[in-house]
Amino acid sequence: MNRFLVLLKRELKLITKEKTIMFAILIQFFIASFSSVLLIGIMSFYDPESIGQNTRIPIEVGLVGDTNSPLSTFLMQKNLRVMSFSNVADAEEAFKSGYVDTVIFIPETKGGIVDMKLVLPHSDTLQTVILMVLQEPLEKYENYLRETNGVQLNYKDLIGRPHTTYEFLYSLIVPMLMLFPAFIAGSIVVDAVAEELENKTFDTLQSAPVSLNGVFASKIVAGVLTAAAQCILWAALLRLNNLLIENLDLVLVFSLIVAAFTSVGAAIIALYFKDRERAQFTYSIALIAAAGLSYVINPSPFSLITRLATGDYYTGTSEVALYVIPLVILSVLFFTTSKKLLAAKS
Amino acid sequence: MFEIKNILTISKREITRFRTRFTGRSRFVLIAIILLCLLISYIMYHQSFVLSKGLYTVGVSPDGPVITDNRFRVVTLDLETACVMLHNNTIDIYIHGNEAMYTSDQRSLYAAGALKQYLENREVIRIANEYEINQAFPLRIEINHLESPADNLDTEIEVSLSDILGLTETSAAPSAISVPTEVPIQDVPTPSPQHTESSTDAAVRQQLSELGSGSRLPEFKAEFASDKDIIIPSLMDPPVPLAQVIMAFFYVVPIFFVSVFFTSSFMEEKTNRKLVLLLSAPVTPFQIILGKMLPYIGYSVAVIIVVTLLLKGNMLLALAIFIPVMLFILSVYLMVALTYRTFRDQTFFSVLAVAAVTAYLVAPAMFAGVSDLSYISPLTLAVEMYRGESFGLTEYLLSTAPMYLVFLLALFVGKRIFNEEYLTGFRPLHTKLGEAIYLVMDRNRLYLSVFLLSLFLIPIVFMVQLSSIVFASNLPMPFALGAVLAMSVVAEELAKSAGIAILLQNNIVKSLKVILMLSFISALGFLIGEKLLLYLALSVISESMFTAAIFSTGLLIMPLIMHFVSTSMVCLMTARFGIKYYPVAVIAGAVIHTLYNLYVLGGIL
Repeated sequence: MNRFLVLLKRELKLITKEKTIMFAILIQFFIASFSSVLLIGIMSFYDPESIGQNTRIPIEVGLVGDTNSPLSTFLMQKNLRVMSFSNVADAEEAFKSGYVDTVIFIPETKGGIVDMKLVLPHSDTLQTVILMVLQEPLEKYENYLRETNGVQLNYKDLIGRPHTTYEFLYSLIVPMLMLFPAFIAGSIVVDAVAEELENKTFDTLQSAPVSLNGVFASKIVAGVLTAAAQCILWAALLRLNNLLIENLDLVLVFSLIVAAFTSVGAAIIALYFKDRERAQFTYSIALIAAAGLSYVINPSPFSLITRLATGDYYTGTSEVALYVIPLVILSVLFFTTSKKLLAAKS
Repeated sequence: MFEIKNILTISKREITRFRTRFTGRSRFVLIAIILLCLLISYIMYHQSFVLSKGLYTVGVSPDGPVITDNRFRVVTLDLETACVMLHNNTIDIYIHGNEAMYTSDQRSLYAAGALKQYLENREVIRIANEYEINQAFPLRIEINHLESPADNLDTEIEVSLSDILGLTETSAAPSAISVPTEVPIQDVPTPSPQHTESSTDAAVRQQLSELGSGSRLPEFKAEFASDKDIIIPSLMDPPVPLAQVIMAFFYVVPIFFVSVFFTSSFMEEKTNRKLVLLLSAPVTPFQIILGKMLPYIGYSVAVIIVVTLLLKGNMLLALAIFIPVMLFILSVYLMVALTYRTFRDQTFFSVLAVAAVTAYLVAPAMFAGVSDLSYISPLTLAVEMYRGESFGLTEYLLSTAPMYLVFLLALFVGKRIFNEEYLTGFRPLHTKLGEAIYLVMDRNRLYLSVFLLSLFLIPIVFMVQLSSIVFASNLPMPFALGAVLAMSVVAEELAKSAGIAILLQNNIVKSLKVILMLSFISALGFLIGEKLLLYLALSVISESMFTAAIFSTGLLIMPLIMHFVSTSMVCLMTARFGIKYYPVAVIAGAVIHTLYNLYVLGGIL
């Protein structure tokens, strides 16, 4: 055991020696802590309606025509400032001089179709924001008109909370942050194994009183430990940002199982190809293939982390334990064939 | 000609090296893995991909709605059991017939929000099928564009609001709207004899058919709402260029994949000591770099052509957009390969480079059509191309010129630092950077070197500054402006003084007069570069409030004096206290620079 610890220490020293990992992690954190713009951008991919929810630009709406229409109330419910104009010329003046951002012309309603006119600035940015902010009050008005036309709508009492951010954070950000270190761990193992092979330092190591599998195990464990450090840091950072991960222990254990899986896989690839280039290339392609394949498993690694982190009642230790099986199979495969793999020509 | 021959020889050597990597059994293993990956991607592409699979648990009464959204794990329950389960938090929400029951628990509230969106969409389809079009979609909104103070457009034709409102009876339906060719919703209602066809009915049918066709992803309108478009609130879809960004990404990913071979090529020369042999051969470093890069450039151009053919894009435009992107990515990798010595170093910095380059390219493109700032990324141009829009030469230059310049700069730097001592030496990052700057400068032409260094560092400073805008814009307003100002001035001060500081460190420059002269030359070079970029940037990014702060306008002489004062301050402090205190000197210079910027900003605000 002591010998293994010596080897492990050597591996960890090699990883931290260049200080690049620390530097790389720091930069990751720097980008992550500042990237709420990216977050909003990606979130609008996830759910375009979030553009309207996330904007805090105060919008002034000018109304002309039937200014007593319920639309006026719906607009105010959305905390928009509404200015009513008695005639078109005043509204135009207010729009052109920038007092209002948009003008809505509401015709008198006598039931049936309401053909409304909406005046918007040319600017794409403003247009999008204004339309997204107006969408909710306009939909309410549309529903009001539907009811006056005798259309019955169900589930109107359902309110809830805007779910986009919640879903986005727990189903994309948290799993990504917890699994990314695992992918890096595999990459480290490829480097660690390939470096020994290319520099022919394996022969020296073999003369030391340690088993070959001991050497590989130390490299794999070192990779997993760096993943663990990163996962814990991410979890702490998310906590600081008021994002609570339920079942944190299980989430961390699961991330490490994945890290161990990618590391063992990476070791097999590196031993097979024996040079860094092909090993890294194959590793990155295999990683994508594995990620794609894992999507068909229920729960997939991504959704398992999501469910654990949101405190899903039906997900727990047994689902995490299931993932130990492929890890054990792959590890047994690796440690029983490592000698052959090392001896085989690539 | 001889040079080209040498470059081609090195390229041939690189291709042979690459080929040896794919011989024997490994070739089959690799091909199998790549094919598997392609197959999986193909299958995933044709499946609906849901990330939050089974996130919420929904109880539904036997007479309740059918829920097909993968986010919901659905269980059929009677009311009594459901109440107990809601109370125990073992289900998040219960739908009893047409009514929803949920608790004040966080998960329950989010589930209600998600279900609301899903059920609302279903309701729209239901009423579209059950009612007359005029009953189901009674509100139609015509979009009219009018010039506002936010627009700053000079060439717009004057249209007045009264003109717009006067045109209440538009005789023709808007040109953008056509009658749908297929009707995927069961029956898009046809007008009954009682319902007189409205001029906006065609627009409603068009949007309904788009909704019924399930995925609206590949469709993309040139603008969210063009002039005279008809929008229906419950059928409105915001402009998110997801499909186009993914398309643009198809071009970049294959280049990332082979980058490992490109970086390793240099790495291998270093570790196997072949570099010495190569350097003693009658080839120049420039030829070696270009020769090694050429196969990857060829591969990338092939990728661009194949992807464009597959996506049916405009070939010339695609090449014009993605060649600079490809050159930029390769130059980043060239720097990674030349600066680092160990495998782990390379892996980390390659991962970092992929992350940074992806963020720089993709993040702005997400805001394509929403903000003009998105033009800092060439992927925005690709998004526009696939949307069938056009863009101007200034937009093209703004997004691609920094990439071309970075490539040229990388080639030049690569050529200068390509010696055994530098490439194989293992020293800390900042020392290596310093050495690189030292090697880049020509000691016989100090003034010219410093001038050009300042000028050519502009694209890098520009990228840093634009990134700082992105990073800072989530801070509250005064802090955001402060953070952008601080990051910008530090980047500028570093760029202007780095060369002189390195000369001071190496005792090349000693006299006060020369330091001051070099500071002036550096300031001049920087100012010229800055103003060139300003000219480009202001013509595209007119909306950003930060541009005024970064590209401080005004007379040319004032900024020149400021650049000179701050740079000479940094250099004199470094000369007096030594290179150890260079960071302190940069901060001192940045303070002077900031004071000037605040003065200019004060004038603007």
